[in-house]
Amino acid sequence: MDVLVLGAKAALAVMLLVAGGAKLADLTGFAAVVRLFIPLRGLAPAYKYLATTVAVAEVILGGASLSFPAVEWINLVVLAAGCAFAAVSVLGFARHRGKSCRCFGALSRRTFDVPGIVRSALIAAFAGVATVGVSGSAVRLGAAAQILLLAAAVLVLAVSFTAAKALATVPQARSR
Amino acid sequence: MISAVAFIAVAIVLCAAAVMAIFGITNVAMSGPKAIENDGLHRGLAAPAWSLPDSSGRILASPSAKPFQLMVFTDHSLKSFPSVVDGLKILASQTTDLEIIVLLAQDNAAAVGVLRLLGLGDLPVVTGTPALYGRYNVRVTPFVIFVDSAGRVRASSLVNHEWQIMKLWRLANIPLSPDPVSRARRFPGGRQPAGVV
Repeated sequence: MDVLVLGAKAALAVMLLVAGGAKLADLTGFAAVVRLFIPLRGLAPAYKYLATTVAVAEVILGGASLSFPAVEWINLVVLAAGCAFAAVSVLGFARHRGKSCRCFGALSRRTFDVPGIVRSALIAAFAGVATVGVSGSAVRLGAAAQILLLAAAVLVLAVSFTAAKALATVPQARSR
Repeated sequence: MISAVAFIAVAIVLCAAAVMAIFGITNVAMSGPKAIENDGLHRGLAAPAWSLPDSSGRILASPSAKPFQLMVFTDHSLKSFPSVVDGLKILASQTTDLEIIVLLAQDNAAAVGVLRLLGLGDLPVVTGTPALYGRYNVRVTPFVIFVDSAGRVRASSLVNHEWQIMKLWRLANIPLSPDPVSRARRFPGGRQPAGVV
C-alpha cells in the first residue's frame, strides 16, 4: 500500500515537471489557452505572464514534491492543483470542446474532451491518495537523496522542455 | 526508512520512464510517417519565389523560365543515397523541359565537392538559408520539389530512391486541376496515389 501511495506521489511530481517544462517551451501556445478562460481585453499583455506563472508553479511544485516528500503541506498544494486541473478540464469541455488544452505544450495534442476530464479526475484522485497515505516522517530523506532527486527532476524538466521546443517546430499540417 | 528508500526507487524509475516516454513521443512525432507526410508543400500551391546566385555567380530564380524546375534540397549527405543520384542523372540527361537546381541550406563547400564526385558537378548549386528551407517546409533531406513555370508546386516529397524521383516527375507532368470534379476523376475514391503531396 505504501509503495502505491509513494508511487502516486512521485508520479504526480514527475507529471508536474513534464507539464511545466513543456509549457515553458511553448508559452505563446499556452497563453492562448489562458486567454480562453480569462477573455478580458485589458489583460491581453498579461496572458504570457500568467502562462509563465502557471508553468513555473508546476515546475516548482513538481520539484519540491519529488525532492521534499516529507513536507506534508506540499501534498495539499498538489491536491489543490489536481482539483484545479479537473475544474479547468470540465470548464474547457463545457465552453471550448475540441480545442487544444496545451496541458503538455507541444508534447501532446490532446483537447478538452471526456477522456481529458477522466484523466484530470484521476490526477486529483492520485493527489488525494498522496495526502493521506504515508506520514511525512516515514519519507524523510537525507541531503544526498534530496540532491539525487533534485537532479532527476532537473533532467526530466530539461528533457521535456527540449522535446517540446523541438516538437513545436514540426508542422502539424501543410500550409494550404 | 523503508518508505524513504521505496520513494527514492519509485521516483527514479518514474523519472527514467518519463524521459524514455518523451524520447519515444518526440521520435515518432518528428520522424514518423505522419510527420514526414506533412513536409513539403501541397500540389497546386504557389511555391516561394527567390532569386539567388549559384556557385559560379550566375543568378538563378524560381520559378524558372523552363516549363519545370526541380529543386533538390540536400547537402553532402547525398552520397548516402546513390539511387537518388542515379535518378537525378537520368532526369538531367533525358529531359530538356526541366531545370534541376541543388539548393543547400547554408554555405557548404563539402557538399559542392561531394556533388562533383557523384557526377552531379554540372548541376547549378544555390546556397539558400534555413529560413528558405522553412518556407518550403523542408526538414529532412534529400527532398525534392517540382515547380512549374507559373511557380505552382507540381509534386514534392522526401526521396530515397530513383523510382521515387521518376514517379514524382511523371506526376509533375499531370496538369493541375483546381476543380474538385476533375480531381476526383483523376483520383477515384478521393485518394491521391502515394507520392503526390
